[in-house]
Amino acid sequence: MTAKRRRVSRREQHRRGGTGASVTVRNTLIAYAFMLPFLVLLVVYHTWPVVFGTYLAFTEYNIISPPKWVGLANFRELFADEQFWSGLRNSLKYVLVVPVIQVISILVALLVNRPLKGIGFFRTAYYVPVVTSFAVVGLIWSWLYKQGGAVNSLLMALGLMHGDHSLLDSPATALFAVMFVTLWKGIGYYMVLYLAGLQGISPELEEAAVIDGATRAQVFWNITLPGLRPTILVCSLLSTISAVKVFEELYVMTPNGYPAGSTYSALMYSFSKAFGGDFNFGLAAAASMVVAVVSILFGLLNFRLTRGGRTDA
Amino acid sequence: MPETSLPQEVLQRDRHAQVAARLKVARRRRQGLRNLVAYAVLTVIALIMLYPFYWTLITSLEPTGNIYEVKLLPRSFSLRNYAEMFSGTTVPFWRLIMNSVVICALGVTLTTTLATLAAYPLAKMRFPGRDLIFYAILILMVLPNEAGLIVNYITTIKLGLLQQTSPAADMIRQYLAVVLPGAASIVGLFLLRQAYLGVPLELIEAARIDGAPELTIWRRIMLPLALPTIAAFAILEFVAYWNSFLWARIMLPDKNMLPLSAGLLELSGTFSTNSRAVMAGAVITIIPILVVFLMGQKYFMKGLEGAVKG
Repeated sequence: MTAKRRRVSRREQHRRGGTGASVTVRNTLIAYAFMLPFLVLLVVYHTWPVVFGTYLAFTEYNIISPPKWVGLANFRELFADEQFWSGLRNSLKYVLVVPVIQVISILVALLVNRPLKGIGFFRTAYYVPVVTSFAVVGLIWSWLYKQGGAVNSLLMALGLMHGDHSLLDSPATALFAVMFVTLWKGIGYYMVLYLAGLQGISPELEEAAVIDGATRAQVFWNITLPGLRPTILVCSLLSTISAVKVFEELYVMTPNGYPAGSTYSALMYSFSKAFGGDFNFGLAAAASMVVAVVSILFGLLNFRLTRGGRTDA
Repeated sequence: MPETSLPQEVLQRDRHAQVAARLKVARRRRQGLRNLVAYAVLTVIALIMLYPFYWTLITSLEPTGNIYEVKLLPRSFSLRNYAEMFSGTTVPFWRLIMNSVVICALGVTLTTTLATLAAYPLAKMRFPGRDLIFYAILILMVLPNEAGLIVNYITTIKLGLLQQTSPAADMIRQYLAVVLPGAASIVGLFLLRQAYLGVPLELIEAARIDGAPELTIWRRIMLPLALPTIAAFAILEFVAYWNSFLWARIMLPDKNMLPLSAGLLELSGTFSTNSRAVMAGAVITIIPILVVFLMGQKYFMKGLEGAVKG
């Protein structure tokens, strides 16, 4: 009886990843010594920004004099500023990328999941934009978008564009031109994740369905897609949040909301308030906080729409 | 009439075989056609993905001509743009490359070491506060950290990392200012904890009974067994540090201290008269990433999958 209980408790410890070693002061100290450098940097550069950033949002602060508590003044200023609203609207527009990038990535993943010769080359090729910096990718695309450049030539050849002008120079198209770059750069990333998801679906299930006479479309809608649901949740969550927070690609390709503020995003507003010359860190922190709240809301909405990633729904 | 029954049967069997063969041929042809379509689509996507890089490469190799036009081959060839970059007369290009190398070496070493150390107790030791720490870290991963840029800027200044005393000390502090904010990687901790959890407990217990210190167990048992994950994580970090530009560009007032991709952006502004030279710079910036990515591709993909599954 006691032997059995001991065995159970050992197994219990094992399950929790514990060891046979007892919890002693010495062992605790050793454990914390292992984690100390990591934890120090974690607190300084990850925890502290959340805490201090929240505090800053309610203060007036420019680094030189200490923060002065101003209550909701920053938020009032923010919500009265048309520039912030236009930035927020652009950030929300950017969410348009999400369904497009997810659908294309799933299709591409299905395509590269086929056992074709040389498929490794294609997978690698699609991943190259992912590993390239936005600094480089943004520069390359701003050249491609130039007057007389590759994109214009293609669009004019297809009859989709009349009159040669850079897409990045027109307020009507600049944001969409940057969106396309985000799409182009992101497909490979989500493709890999969906590929992993596809490989987690048991092939027996699909084979059984085919033997029972299911068509390819039926197999896709009834087996493959439900099997991918957890991956779809993770991917659309990731891409929604990064769409609301869009910044780097805009920063490189359309600095300062060029042209005519049409590419201002909410985070770019925050950035320019802090580093654009006036060092208004309080207002910048408030803007960041709004972006954070909006991205949390969108994340939750995403959860609802994909039904929490359940496979039984 | 004896011929009718037997040949009839043979004939029938023969007909069946013919039908089967025809079906097989049709299926193979259909499969072949489907593969052909698949290859066509794959190629079109590959062109869209790779042409921008290819175009940059060939344009950077041209000395003169209509710069932004579409082309399949360079109209003329010269290494002048590369020579201009490397000569460093207009930009401290070698300096930027050195900055990138130092930042990457420092960043990857620090990040990997900290994560491999910190994940060990979380996976294989029992101590009070373990679950609390783990969940606190998870929450940090979920919480959006938009204020990060702003507060980290303030922290960096308050820590005195941008102080100016002596050239050598300034340099070290500025490198640290670039590297430190990313050095505690929550994703890395997570990946490595997962990898350690798979190491058999018997191995560690045996070593403990033999009286091995924990640091030795970590170095001699955990590190070798988690090596594929560590390699994947190190490659991910290399790519991240090599590609980072925003933080360094905000933080560092001294343009000589910028890493390559941040320097490239700086160039594109101040050097706008010679876009071809900037293109050469872009090509040079991409090459190390491509080399590392192609060499470690197997690990890299695995690390990425782990990052999501974990």
